This record gives sequence, C-alpha cells and structure tokens, in this order.
Amino acid sequence: MATLSKPASTAVPKTGTSSKRRRREALWFYLFVSPWMIGFLVFLFGPMIASLYYSMTDWDSFTDPVWVGFQNYVTLITDDPRFWRALWHTFYYAAVSVPLGLVLGLWLANLLNKQVRARKLLRTLIYLPTLVPLVATAMIFRQVLAPNGPFNDALGLLGISGPSWLLDGDWATPALIVMSAWSAGAATVLLLAAMKGIPKELYEAAEVDGAGGVRQFWSITLPHLTPIIFFNLIMGMIGAFQVFAQVYILVPKGKLPAAYAGAETMVPYLFDEAFGNYHMGYASAISWLLFLVVLVFTLIAFRTARRWVFYETEVK
Amino acid sequence: MAGLLTTPAPRRTRESVPPRKALRGRGPGSLRAFRATPFTYATLIVVAAILTMPLVFVGSIALSSDATVNTNSFTLLPTEFHWENFTRVFGSELPMGRFLINSVIISLCSVAGQMLSSGLVGYAFARLRAPGKNTLFLIVIATMMIPTQITMIPQFILFRDLGWVNSYLPLIVPNFFSNAFNVFLVRQFVSRLPSTLDEAAMVDGLGFFGIYRRIMLPMLWPVLIAIGIFTLTHTWGDFMGPLIYLNDESKMPLALGIQYITSTSAAGQSPAWNLVMVGSILLALPMIIVYYLGQKYLYEMDISGGSAGVK
Repeated sequence: MATLSKPASTAVPKTGTSSKRRRREALWFYLFVSPWMIGFLVFLFGPMIASLYYSMTDWDSFTDPVWVGFQNYVTLITDDPRFWRALWHTFYYAAVSVPLGLVLGLWLANLLNKQVRARKLLRTLIYLPTLVPLVATAMIFRQVLAPNGPFNDALGLLGISGPSWLLDGDWATPALIVMSAWSAGAATVLLLAAMKGIPKELYEAAEVDGAGGVRQFWSITLPHLTPIIFFNLIMGMIGAFQVFAQVYILVPKGKLPAAYAGAETMVPYLFDEAFGNYHMGYASAISWLLFLVVLVFTLIAFRTARRWVFYETEVK
Repeated sequence: MAGLLTTPAPRRTRESVPPRKALRGRGPGSLRAFRATPFTYATLIVVAAILTMPLVFVGSIALSSDATVNTNSFTLLPTEFHWENFTRVFGSELPMGRFLINSVIISLCSVAGQMLSSGLVGYAFARLRAPGKNTLFLIVIATMMIPTQITMIPQFILFRDLGWVNSYLPLIVPNFFSNAFNVFLVRQFVSRLPSTLDEAAMVDGLGFFGIYRRIMLPMLWPVLIAIGIFTLTHTWGDFMGPLIYLNDESKMPLALGIQYITSTSAAGQSPAWNLVMVGSILLALPMIIVYYLGQKYLYEMDISGGSAGVK
C-alpha cells in the first residue's frame, strides 16, 4: 500500500535495494520518533501503571506501600463526604461556567459580526482578558471580588447589594464562575471566525422571505454553529473538571478556609491529599476517578466527532 | 480561524463609510442580520467596559501607596501614581527580578525542547514509512485525553528519586520528549506540504536526517513558532508544576512567586497588593505582546479552534 501512495519509490529501480531502503527508512522512523516513544514510556505509560498500583495501596511515599486492594475506591465512594462535596463543586462549576462562557461568547460574537465601527478595538478589548495568565487573573479577582471591590460597587449601581464573595463558602463557587466569565472572549473570537464562514446568500434569501434579525439568528446563524458550540462545550467541560490554580489562588485554603471548603473541586482535593497529607495511594485513586469522569465526556466528544469534523472542512 | 484573516471583502465595505448607502441592497451591511443598531453599540461598549474594568483596577492598585494597601482603600480609577512601585519590585524588598529570570529560563528551555523534538517526531509520522506506524499514531492521539493528574504523583516520585526536586529539571526535561498535541500539529502541517521537494532531495541522495534539516526544517517554521508560542504561554503561566517541584523562593518562577508572596504575609497583615499587582502585570504583559506578535502564526495553524473555555 505504501508503494502506491508514494510514487517516489518508483525512482528506485531494483526491488532488492528497495526492500533494503525500506528497512532503512523504518529504522530512521523509529530513530526520529524515539523522543516521543521514550517520553511516552517514562513520563506517561510507566507512571500510569504506577498510579494504578499506588491507588490500590496505603502509602505515604516514605515507608513501604501497604496493599489494600480496592479499599481506597470503596472509601472514596461510600465513606468520604469531602470527596462527594468536591465532586459536586466540580460539576456545579463546570455545568455553569462552561455554558455561560459559550452563551456570552455567542452573544458577543453575534454583535461583533454586525457592521460595527471600531470592531477590531472592541474585539481586542473583549479578547484581552483571555491572554492574562491564570495566576494573574486569580490575583486580580481577589481584589475585584473583595466585599467593597469594584464588582460589588457595580452591582450596587444596579441596586443589588453584592455578597461577600470570597469570605462566604456559599458564594465561593459563584465567584469562580464570575472569574471564568471574564474569559468569554475566547469563545467570542472562535465563534466570530466561524460566523464568517456562513454563506451570505442564506441571509439574503431569508431577507427576501421576510425573516427578521432574531429569526435569522435562530434559523441560520445558530444551526451553523451548533457543531462547534457542542465541541467546545465538551472540551470546556473536560478543562473545567481539572480546574486547580483558580481555586488554589482565589480561595487559598490557609487564608480563606470557609470559602475554600465551599469551593474545593476535585484536583485541589487530590493535590491536598497527595502533597499536603501525603496520602499518595488515596490521591491516586482520586485521580483515576477524575479520569473516569473526563473519559466519559471525551467519549461523548469522539462519538459525535463526525458532526463537527464535517463542518470544519465545510468552512474552508 | 482563518476567517479572521481571509475576509477582506466585507471589511472594505465597512471601512469606506460614505459609499455604504450606495451599496444598500447588495453589500452585507444592508442585510438585517448584519445591521448595527444603537443598541448593538451600547451593549458592546458596556460589555467591553466591564471586561476592561479589572485591568484598569490592577493598574490602579499597582500605583497605590503602601498606606492605601494597609487600609485596603483601593479605587477603581487611580488617584495616586506611585510609579516607583515598578522599580521597587526589583529592589531588595522582593525577589521579583529573580522570579522573572527563573520564568525566562524555564520557559525558553521548554520552548527549545518542544520545538526540537516535536518537529522531528511529527515529520517522521507524516513522511516516513515503517511497520507499526499507524498503531503508534493512534497511541499518540489516545494520550491526548489522559488528564495530567493521573501521572502527577508517579512523576513526582520519579523526579524525587532522581534527586531533581527543587530544581528546574522536572519542569524542563519532559519537554525534550515532545507532546502528543504538538506532534499532531507538525504531522498535519507536513502532510499539507507538497512531497516533491523531499522526493527530489532523496533522488539526489540526501539522507532522511539531511532531508529533515535542509528541506523540511526551513518550511516548518510557521508550525514550530506556533508550538513555541503554545509552550511559552503554557510554561510561563504554569502554576501547578512549580508548586509541586520548587521549594526555594529563589528558584520560583513569577507565576508561583507572586502567589507565594501573598500566602506568606504575616497573619492579620494584608500582602503588599500594590507590588503583587505589579508582579501580575509583569506576568501578563509578555504574554499579550507574544500573542500580538505571533497571532498570524496561530491563525495560520488553524488550531486556536478547539480551545475556547480550556485555559
């Protein structure tokens, strides 16, 4: 099959030299991909096997691990309210922040897709927050969401007396969601680019048929974007399940214990178990349960892949 | 994403304002779906203002005096201008200069590692033929969906046993072994290049490494620069890696360093927020500059595509 797909090999006349050449080519291939293969074995595959083993042990990483079988998993699922709370916070955060970011992004993209002046400036201002590294973002929002900070001042202008976000366990996860909404510009730019690919003729035809602007959005723009929105929803969820720095910095366990307890998601819990309490076995079990959750969403993304892949080629 | 750069037509009609009326009935501006109303402008301006507010506030805090910090009486718009805060962070009070140097060392080594390794591996997957190649590539794809948290603990044990904890090595060395996403990018990029050049070189007797170095590498720059930007933004902003591996303040990169400053202030005393915000600006500014210098490569790669919401 390879000879058919690559006409260059016809340049080599004799079959004997050709098979020798092919062996040489295979050798070079394995030499070239060796960095990836070594990295895969040492930093990924090996550690995965090790992690699976650790997750079945009771281990503080200093003394010898004690084999406990599935005990860690059983404890996590049946006898660990902190785990269930972390799982709930994670779902809460993911289920609100990701759709919110996409809805905001879609709304802004639709506005920017109109014939607005200074579009480039507006797009830049909306996109700028997404370029700020997470650590800086979290530092900024420590102050923005202070009880007498600008966010509550703005709410005050609307007649709403804002909560004391980072000092209140119940408002810590909403605070994380507010912070994530600041990065809605990522979805905006993405969806705006996709909107440019929608044929103008469709809007002209809709115009002739007397469809209004709102109707055109729901009947033309949105259907063209659903595959890309869906894909980003899944990818965003996978990312949201793994939030760490946001929680760790916005509601630090040491300084804001009440808020931390009210917002702790799965990865900060895992981190605290592993590097705070040295429960390496237990933490490994948490990481595998996290993997399971991520896997389910990844499988959904892959099962529906054909829909968005088809669309991507269509745009070009 | 290519749409951002390849749509000159509607842009022209938008910028030439006077003839717009004449175009009514033909240009996209005449369509109801694309007509901007005062409401459109009002919404966009309000939203842009809200999103810009935190950035203005950072500037205001960064320019505040220590007295303002201690009473926590920041204002949204700056009322005092203590520009010396920007030089103070490099003085004896804080090791911000050290943090910055550490960030540069870690990031540049990581970028070099990814560019060197990913190019080679991606080229091999795109062009060389070998038994087992397709299976290997499937593994490459599959590894993309494994969350880093799975390997976090065993990797820590591995690096600890190697005696690498509290050094840059655990943060830098893995980058020299490429990563699945970058390999995928290079492979896609090379597949789109015409194979006539490297075939001609092969006929001329150039070996596979020669073809890579002399023929492919000069053509790979766009994708390698995109990979460099991704790696740079990732390592520059990385928090968890340094948090796990670095204990000494003098070894911390900026992203960890500014968090460390806020976490170590004495109980009941507020951290030096003005200096922390100067640090945040120092952390953000290079990324904004790099993005604006490199955005054409990112759009060319067509890849910012899948990443909204994942940060």
